[in-house]
This record gives sequence, structure tokens and C-alpha cells, in this order.
Amino acid sequence: MSPQFVDFDADGKLDIVAGIFDGSPHLVRGSAQGWQAPEQILDRNGARIVFNQFWNFDTKKWDSTHAHDAPGHQREGHLTSAVAFDWDGDGDLDLLLGDHSTGRVFLRRNEGSATQPRFATVNEPVLANGKPIDVPGTVATLRLVDWNHDGLLDLAAGGMGDVYGQNPGGGVCIFLNVGSKTRTSYAAPVTLLEPSQKGAHEPTRPDSGLYMDFGDLDADGDLDLIVGGYSHWTPVPRELSADEKQRATELEAQIAAADKDYQALFEPINKAIEGLEGEAQEKKYTELYAAQKDAFAAVGKRRQALQTELESLIPAPKRESFVWFYEHLAGKAAPAK
Amino acid sequence: MKLPLLSVLAFTATTVLAQSPTFAKPVRMQAGGKLLGGGRLYPSPVLHDLDGDGRADIVVGDLRGRLTVAKRTADATPTFAAESNVLGADQKQVDLQNW
Repeated sequence: MSPQFVDFDADGKLDIVAGIFDGSPHLVRGSAQGWQAPEQILDRNGARIVFNQFWNFDTKKWDSTHAHDAPGHQREGHLTSAVAFDWDGDGDLDLLLGDHSTGRVFLRRNEGSATQPRFATVNEPVLANGKPIDVPGTVATLRLVDWNHDGLLDLAAGGMGDVYGQNPGGGVCIFLNVGSKTRTSYAAPVTLLEPSQKGAHEPTRPDSGLYMDFGDLDADGDLDLIVGGYSHWTPVPRELSADEKQRATELEAQIAAADKDYQALFEPINKAIEGLEGEAQEKKYTELYAAQKDAFAAVGKRRQALQTELESLIPAPKRESFVWFYEHLAGKAAPAK
Repeated sequence: MKLPLLSVLAFTATTVLAQSPTFAKPVRMQAGGKLLGGGRLYPSPVLHDLDGDGRADIVVGDLRGRLTVAKRTADATPTFAAESNVLGADQKQVDLQNW
């Protein structure tokens, strides 16, 4: 969820726009009394704005639709980022929406007015250099920034990347707006931060889930980056003594045994819910799991203690979230036009 | 063929900027002596002058949908005070209630 501060309804007060993991853009209205309760941003028919995957609050399950796909653009997208932007210079704010699943960016045009938005019902693919945008590593966030100081807002995208494993992580790229105030047109992306290849022995950068913003933090006339995200690293292992090596082997075996015990606790539960569906399955599962709660907790505690001791001998991969500052060294970009 | 001056300038600017910019080695940011974003699920920072003092603060959203702010201090070098919750009109933390 990356907030954008923008006067969404042209009432002279800043609001907060954000796409969240439920699959829809949301709005927190600013008022004289302060920030109001969040609400969903709806389309002109009063329906939720979604791509394909979304959390259905009625059924309390993940759901899917293709009702809003543009012809020829049927995918399995999941909207998690949104920025409001006057795409066509008509004085009202349209929505640019990022796809956490596929890296695409879509437009919902505002067919109403600045004060009474009415958003289109179709997700219109946004192009860059004539092709649908496809952010490497899928879209974590979108930001608007006049990167080249030409008076037009460019579109920056942070990449999600592989958020748990060792596959490449995310980067940051920017699509320069080479159109005009009334006709947004994006060029091919320029890489600001290369997607991470990971493999460091200490935190060196945000590796996955890159959420960035721009600002001249050091007041030197150019735009720096601040980037939230996860760093992935594996500390350098130390040389172990013979006794330590033996202990590490024992611990690995004991951890494997604990995992087996955990699985054994699940087996009768899984068997008992076979053939059941929906609420009946959930009810039975909850009931049986609760009956074995203490046994699960005991195995979990045992395994955690073993893992902690093992990691004191052989460091495990680490993954932690931080916010990073990237100072821009290239100096102020030349005016474009 | 003679290109119009504006087209040439636009082409030149785009070409220059088509090269990746250079950034210094990144450093982890702190707020109130703590690492900013630590322990948050997918911290998402945005620079915004929340208190209207003319200095850009850092508002941080996260996967859960909660907003905090690290206010920039009056120091000449960028320094940020400890994070606090962004409060709504009801004096509760602004929370987009992701789930």
C-alpha cells in the first residue's frame, strides 16, 4: 500500500489515494476535521474497481472476474497500487493502476468531473513505446514525478521481484512522458535501479518489494530516491570446529524429525476433512486443529529452539525490511523543452 | 531532412535521460535513532510535508494499510524524528484495513 497525497475531489484539501492488497483503490478524504474513514473508489456504475483477482468481502474469499478486461487483454491481474493523474489534461483526475501479478499498468478514465469523478468500467492497458507496460518483477508501486523537469509527469514503477527466494528481486524504472499536457505518451523505460540479483552477505540494498519516492533530500538540485523494501542476505559462515560440525549435523537431523512430527499431527486432520467442502470442511478442520493445539505448539517450540541453535553455527538467509536513501550523483537534469 | 528545433531538443533530452542515472551507494534511513521501515510489512515511504512546516516528512504505509510519519527536524542535514502514527479525525491511526 503506497499512499499518494493528492486533492482527489478538487475540494482544496489533500486526500490520500492508495491501492491495497484487497485488489481495489481506496480513498481517505482530507477534511477540516482531519482524515476521514477510508472508502473504496468506485466506477461510474458504483462497482468496485478491480483487475481480476480481488478479495470478496461478501463471501470472505478470494474471487476473480473478467468483467473489466479490455478486449484482447484478458489476464489474471491483481490491482495493488494506484495513483490519481490527469491523463488527458481535461481537468479531472484519472486513475493509473498497477498490477502486482503481471507487471502491467492500466488506466481507468474519469468520465465525470474533477469534483464528481465517474470512472470507466474497463481497464485500459497503458503503453510505453507502443507496447503494454510490463514492469520487470511485477508492479510493487507507481509514482508520478517530473524526472526530466520538462513540466510533464513521468511514471515511475517499483518492482516486486522474488520476495522470498533467490530469484532476481525488484528494481526501479521510469517511463518518461514524451507526450503533452493533453496527450500522455510514455517512452520505453529507463532503469533507475537495476533489479537485484541478491546474494549479498549483509544488507546492501532493497532487494525485493521496492516502494520508492522522489525528493531532493540533500538540497543539491536533483531528485534523490527513498526506497522501502526487503533486503535479503546470508551472513558469511564461520569456520566450525569438529565438535560444532557434529552438533550441526545432529541439529539438522533433529529439525527434520520435528518436521516429521508436525506432519504426523496433520495427517489425521487431513484425512478427516477429505470429502468435505466449504464451511463444513473449515469447521471440521478448526475443531480438530484446536484439539491438537498444544501438541502443535510443543513441536513448534522444539523446532524453533533447534533452529536458533543451528543458526548460531550456520547462518540462515535473512530477510528484513528497511527504507533506503539513494543520493542522486548525476546533478540536475537538463531542461527538456 | 531538417527537423523542427523543438523536436531536436525533445529528442536530445530523451536520449540523454535514456541512460541510467548514477546514485551513491544506498544507506539505510533512520528515524529517531531507529532504522526506518524495520519490522514493517512492505514499507512504502512517501515524502510529504504532513505538518505544514515547509519540510518534507516521510509518511510510511505498509501492507496492512497503516500509516506512520517520521517528521523531518529543523536540522540542516536530513534528520527525522521517531515515527508516530498518522491520526485520523477520530484520533485513531489512519488504517486502510487491508484485512
